Amino acid sequence: MGHQWGMVIDLDRCTGCEACVVACHAENNIATVGDKQAAGGRAKHWIRVERYYEGDFPDVKVKFMPVLCQQCDAAPCEPVCPTFASYHTDEGLNGQIYNRCIGTRYCANACPYNVRFFNFYNPAWDKPLDLQLNPDVSVREVGVMEKCTFCLQRIKAAEIEAAAEKRDVKDGEIQPACVQSCPTNAMVFGDLSDPHSRASRMAASSRGNKLMEELGTRPKITYLQRESWNGDENA
Amino acid sequence: MPPVEKNRMQRRDFLKISAITGASAALDACGSPDHQLIRFIPEEDLIPGVATWKPSVCTVCPAGCGLLVRVMEGDAEVVRNGQLGLMQMGLAKKLEGNPAHPINQGKLCPRGQAGLQVTYHPDRIRTPLMRSGARGSGEFKAISWDEAMKRLMAQLSSLHSGNSHGRLVFLTSSLRGQRKNIAVTFTGAFKNSQYVEFAFFDERVVRTANAASFRHDAPPTVDLSQANYIISFGANFLGTWNSPVAQSLGYGQMRQGRPGTRGKFVQFEPRISQTGANADEWFACAPGAEGLLALGIAHVLIADKLRPASSAGAAGELVEGWSGGLAEYAPEKIEAQTGVKAETITRIAHEAAAHAPAVALIGDAAAAHTNSLFNTVATNALNALLGSAGKPGGIQFGSVWNSGSGKSGVQESSGAAAVQALAAQLESDPSSVGALLIYGANPVFATPAAWRVRQSLEKAPLIASFGSFIDETSILADLILPDHSSLESWIEDTPDSGSVRTVVSVAPPAMLPLHDTRPMPDVLLDLAHELGGNLATALPWKTYDDAIQADFAALYKEKGSKDAKAADDFWSNAQQQGGWWGPEEPAAANEPGGKSTAVPVKYAPAQFDGNPGEFPFYFMPFPSQMLYDGSLAGLPWMQEAPDPMSTAMWGTWVELNPSTANKLGIKQADLVEITSQHGTLRAPTMITPGIAPDVIAMPIGQGHESFTRYASNRGANPISILAPISVAGTGALAWAATRVKISRVGEGSVILFGASLREESPDLKHR
Amino acid sequence: MATKTPEQINEDLLRPLSVVSPRYFVALAIFLAVVIVAGSMFGRQIYDGLGVTGLNRPVFWAFYITNFVFWIGLSHAGTLISAILRLCNATWRRPVTRCAEVITVFSLSIGASFPIIHLGRPWLAFWLFPYPSERGIWPNIRSPLLWDFFAINTYLIGSVTFLLLPMLPDFALIRDRASGFRKRVYGFLALGWRGTPKQWHRLETAMHIMAIAIIPVAVSVHSIVSWDFAMAPVPMWHSTIFAPYFVAGAIFSGIAALIIAMAGLRKFLHLQEYLRPIHFQNLGKLLLVMSLLWFYFVFSERLTGWYGNEKYEMSVFWVTQRGSFAPLFWTMVFCNFLLPVPILAIKKLRTITGTVIASIGVVIGMWIERFLIIVPSLTRKYLPFSWGTYRPSWTEIIITAGTFAAMALLYMLFAKVVPIIAVWELKAGQSVEREHLETILAASEAEAGAD
Ligand SMILES: Nc1nc2c(c(=O)[nH]1)N[C@H]1C(S)=C(S)[C@@H](COP(=O)(O)OP(=O)(O)OC[C@H]3O[C@@H](n4cnc5c(=O)[nH]c(N)nc54)[C@H](O)[C@@H]3O)O[C@H]1N2
Ligand code: SF4
Ligand code: SF4
Ligand code: SF4
Ligand code: SF4
Ligand code: SF4
Repeated sequence: MGHQWGMVIDLDRCTGCEACVVACHAENNIATVGDKQAAGGRAKHWIRVERYYEGDFPDVKVKFMPVLCQQCDAAPCEPVCPTFASYHTDEGLNGQIYNRCIGTRYCANACPYNVRFFNFYNPAWDKPLDLQLNPDVSVREVGVMEKCTFCLQRIKAAEIEAAAEKRDVKDGEIQPACVQSCPTNAMVFGDLSDPHSRASRMAASSRGNKLMEELGTRPKITYLQRESWNGDENA
Repeated sequence: MPPVEKNRMQRRDFLKISAITGASAALDACGSPDHQLIRFIPEEDLIPGVATWKPSVCTVCPAGCGLLVRVMEGDAEVVRNGQLGLMQMGLAKKLEGNPAHPINQGKLCPRGQAGLQVTYHPDRIRTPLMRSGARGSGEFKAISWDEAMKRLMAQLSSLHSGNSHGRLVFLTSSLRGQRKNIAVTFTGAFKNSQYVEFAFFDERVVRTANAASFRHDAPPTVDLSQANYIISFGANFLGTWNSPVAQSLGYGQMRQGRPGTRGKFVQFEPRISQTGANADEWFACAPGAEGLLALGIAHVLIADKLRPASSAGAAGELVEGWSGGLAEYAPEKIEAQTGVKAETITRIAHEAAAHAPAVALIGDAAAAHTNSLFNTVATNALNALLGSAGKPGGIQFGSVWNSGSGKSGVQESSGAAAVQALAAQLESDPSSVGALLIYGANPVFATPAAWRVRQSLEKAPLIASFGSFIDETSILADLILPDHSSLESWIEDTPDSGSVRTVVSVAPPAMLPLHDTRPMPDVLLDLAHELGGNLATALPWKTYDDAIQADFAALYKEKGSKDAKAADDFWSNAQQQGGWWGPEEPAAANEPGGKSTAVPVKYAPAQFDGNPGEFPFYFMPFPSQMLYDGSLAGLPWMQEAPDPMSTAMWGTWVELNPSTANKLGIKQADLVEITSQHGTLRAPTMITPGIAPDVIAMPIGQGHESFTRYASNRGANPISILAPISVAGTGALAWAATRVKISRVGEGSVILFGASLREESPDLKHR
Repeated sequence: MATKTPEQINEDLLRPLSVVSPRYFVALAIFLAVVIVAGSMFGRQIYDGLGVTGLNRPVFWAFYITNFVFWIGLSHAGTLISAILRLCNATWRRPVTRCAEVITVFSLSIGASFPIIHLGRPWLAFWLFPYPSERGIWPNIRSPLLWDFFAINTYLIGSVTFLLLPMLPDFALIRDRASGFRKRVYGFLALGWRGTPKQWHRLETAMHIMAIAIIPVAVSVHSIVSWDFAMAPVPMWHSTIFAPYFVAGAIFSGIAALIIAMAGLRKFLHLQEYLRPIHFQNLGKLLLVMSLLWFYFVFSERLTGWYGNEKYEMSVFWVTQRGSFAPLFWTMVFCNFLLPVPILAIKKLRTITGTVIASIGVVIGMWIERFLIIVPSLTRKYLPFSWGTYRPSWTEIIITAGTFAAMALLYMLFAKVVPIIAVWELKAGQSVEREHLETILAASEAEAGAD
């Protein structure tokens, strides 16, 4: 009841390894598109690790930033969808009903984070790679939009189990695939409506900010900024 | 892929789809069930739509992370002796880290995630194959296991009985546990035999140095979680080096896991790696000067009385001039050679001393110069001086479980030099090798073309491969006896770094085999029994899992366990949790002690192949985050995952500094030609600010001529143009010791995931 | 020019309906061929997926939506202009209104097909229709796409009515002069028009009501089209100026299209005596006003964007101003402003040829304008890591060409079936205002010089 799922990503831990990227592919039946389509800008990575260089040789700094759907509370992708395929769930997620999507791609334009991915062709798996498909996640078809769901199937599974055991979902019980794989524990998932959840507490960090918050999207992912080393503090 | 296509065509001829609802029925129907019956798969536990979790081990790299495999029931088309049938079986759906495993604690790297695609790969070899065309033509025909075994037996029995001249050579990737024991014992039972291990990234230099400095012939287990200061010389420890998941876990903890304490990380390397990208300070040091830097820092520590020279103990004494305070290595004296300012070296030494525990790491290109044994021994000495050898927050060595007696008497060699020697010998006297068995290794791809490994293998009288794919090496085989995938096999693993606890991973198969394959150790055991004699007694087990069980019985006897009252409990507990891990050893147990017997190591400048006038650039290959050493290039997930630094997908590229590009009139994505004294390759450029102007870098992994539909004829292989020189004192290939020249060929293209629109975004610094 | 008798007018204006030249068929065949090729490309796109286009992430809208806005914009040629002229009682409008209204109906239909052509799953386009589905799901009324759906349909129904009503007397005229099958068809279309005073009165009243009603509808249509963009938080889309800017641009391109169409009809249907220089003169003046207005809007939009100096907007601003889209941007300024303004402002140049050249410039310029509103913003949307580029595929180019061919095709067919100039209106104009008209015509024609 009243969960508001959110995430905290600690950029000081994230090393840009992209375990999250591949984990998401594996969990969510995201098809690879092949070299030609990838060259045409159609690769699908529901989570991507953005890399920014600062400065010139030899004073180079690099920043990594994993970007996935921010599950905006005021999601610009939702009102523009004519069919309610992009909609807001009771638990604060931006849901995507593939079956309702007619492929206007309006939502993708409206999303400031560019995290919505379109099926320009029917996704295909060379047999028997199709055997790896996760039966908990539907396979999309040509012409529909897809995006990070916060691994809804895992959220639902945990909620169903908790309901069966007549208890609430425990903090940390749900781990989206990216969070689960992340080797540095840079990502924390949890219920933001519970002030005691780990995610809520971390989101309150003074290092926390939200991506392009100024656009009024009210994202539910908090990024904890990288710190610089302060020797004295540690001395 | 011609051979596989051929198989498919043949199968279609007698395609029989039969819906069979039960593993045993399917298996009874075809072939001898003894070979296919997989024990310990409780298929009856599978409930449609409900996931079960089975432990396994990641075999994608030597780190040996523990897996939990998500298995769900599904219908698979499986082939048994040429018959295609539909079978309801448990299918691996997702790989996840095993939270109980001491090395990866529930986490995985991207390569580990993608390991799943090996099992389901469309180009996996599905039945035994026999060469039907000329060597290397890729023409094979499917044969039965009986026939394959008969053919192999024929050759082996004459070698075993001494009726025919020539050695049995077993060429393999690095193996561990009973898998290695069986392979070594099997090989050793032949009068005249040789066991050769080869992997491109085998950490041979680090092992050799650690054996000298600390008497541990193993890569270190790095405890970053408690470190306050990390100095890394080129080690891509957050990407691919050593035990990256374990190290990443520690790194995350080091950064933000300890309230109020955030460690500092400094990286020295000529080209910014994904790991270097995370450093608080990154310095482009001259290639091969890492040891100088380590000793420069050591000099300051000693000279400024931050640490007494003697505290380095034996590891220090290994470095010539150590007791004299390393006067030669004063920061001002090495400034020019290293390219790092004296005051930087001094400052870092002071910071490291003030923020114990401080740890130094070395790996990758820094450990692949001709003088890298020195570089590594110097880094070891620095660690010892900093007081971080064998201590929390430093480098440690756990005790490693050794399966088997280790007394096979076989001629055992490993590393690049061993492959080079084998090639040379085959080339001069092909008949000296009676049969060559190849498992896991792909030396044709992963050795410099100058060694002529392909040409020499072409001359071998008989090559049998246990490969799962037609790669550059297995394409030369006469017989292919495809192995199960790791998810279909029993697995045992004894990783030698990543945790200070003794780790012996074990797992029964997570799923039934998809294809008509057999586990390599079982094939060797079958051959042993058939050959009889000393082989049958040396390898008493009927099956590989019997052998593992015997190993666990020995482990139980030696190490015991609190939770298991009997060997059987111990064995089944281990299978349930994915292995047995020893207790947390007290730090003292890891501390190196005693006097080293090795002779002191002396600085010598790194040698580079090619004169700087003609070949002005250092050529620096680097491990690819996704493709590793190229063995993962066949997986579509890995091809399409963007490289963390370049964001490139489905291809290769050459990195160069903007000023270099400018000077040579080369633009982003232009096609360039890289020439060393030993070859030429072409690739598009990636102009990046994170590389020294005199260095050209290139990822390893692409450039396969034959390796699945996804990797074949894609990009270029930097290994092919490397100079055939080795790291002094180790026999390892000095893969960072080649000089090249570069010229523009024309326009090219590189597939990027991140935008590359630098010229139009002067204010937003993305490139 | 002498005033024509009603019989001469009948003769002249109905001639194209019966006389067909071989050139007509050749042109028809060419346009038809282009339409068929474009149609088959669309067929392939449905079969394979939108992958056959040059669309990608992040440029999810490009040629098709450009065409959508362009054609909907062109549709403002007719009904709106004709309604305004009717209401202002501009007498020179009489030969112009029908060819204008036809442009509306056809370009609106073509424009309205683009949202379907561009869909990922066009076979489900009917989900935009608010029908009581078995799932109990209604379309999302918050989506500007749904507003489009209603606005365009309203406009289409209104325009068709507006076009058809004044055609009744002409259909009756043809019916009365024809025989056999033609007589029956036109008889049906004439809906029993007999020309009684009561019928005339009703027609006049209906036209007056329609003329008043259609203006807000037309304004709303292009406002809503502009809101497809302005409602999304995309840099340089999210702009309050968009609605009037789009409406002005629509009328601008609409007038240009009308001038081109009139010139074509004049030449090919030999209507020199009906579509006279005065019409081009007057429409040219209107076009001049719109060109200045358009420039004012573009200038305001650019100036406020630049002055605000918001970083994300600026990346879009500069990529159009001096980046990869700059050549297109400056071509647009040339076509929409630098070229037409001198031609239309200088009386000597405001000839038929002059106005046609200016109009061709405007039609091209306005197509580019729509492209530049849509695409550069998407290529530079926020996080630079996900910036992209766009290059149209042949499928998009050919389908675009196909719609121009379709427009020509429809226009040609229409002109063969219905008198392209309202016969009765012309006659009415001549009888009611003959004297007045003559004075004006004489004066203005003397000014412009004989054609
Ligand atoms: N003729 C006939 N009619 C029947 C039945 C029958 O046997 N015969 N059976 C009845 C029964 S028992 C049932 S349960 C109903 C089933 O009726 P529906 O519920 O309509 O079942 P599906 O057709 O499977 O549609 C489910 C849709 O959800 C989509 N989907 C799958 N996974 C996801 C996801 O993760 N996210 C989102 N957003 N969408 C997803 C799929 O694309 C699919 O289109 O049909 C009933 N009607
Ligand atoms: S990030 Fe984009 S897709 Fe996700 S909710 Fe926000 S607007 Fe929608
Ligand atoms: S693409 Fe699909 S989800 Fe997005 S707005 Fe259109 S119909 Fe809605
Ligand atoms: S939360 Fe799930 S769907 Fe979203 S990026 Fe992570 S793994 Fe992918
Ligand atoms: S897995 Fe974790 S550390 Fe790696 S890129 Fe993703 S968020 Fe960063
Ligand atoms: S580091 Fe990655 S590839 Fe290596 S064993 Fe661990 S998970 Fe597998």
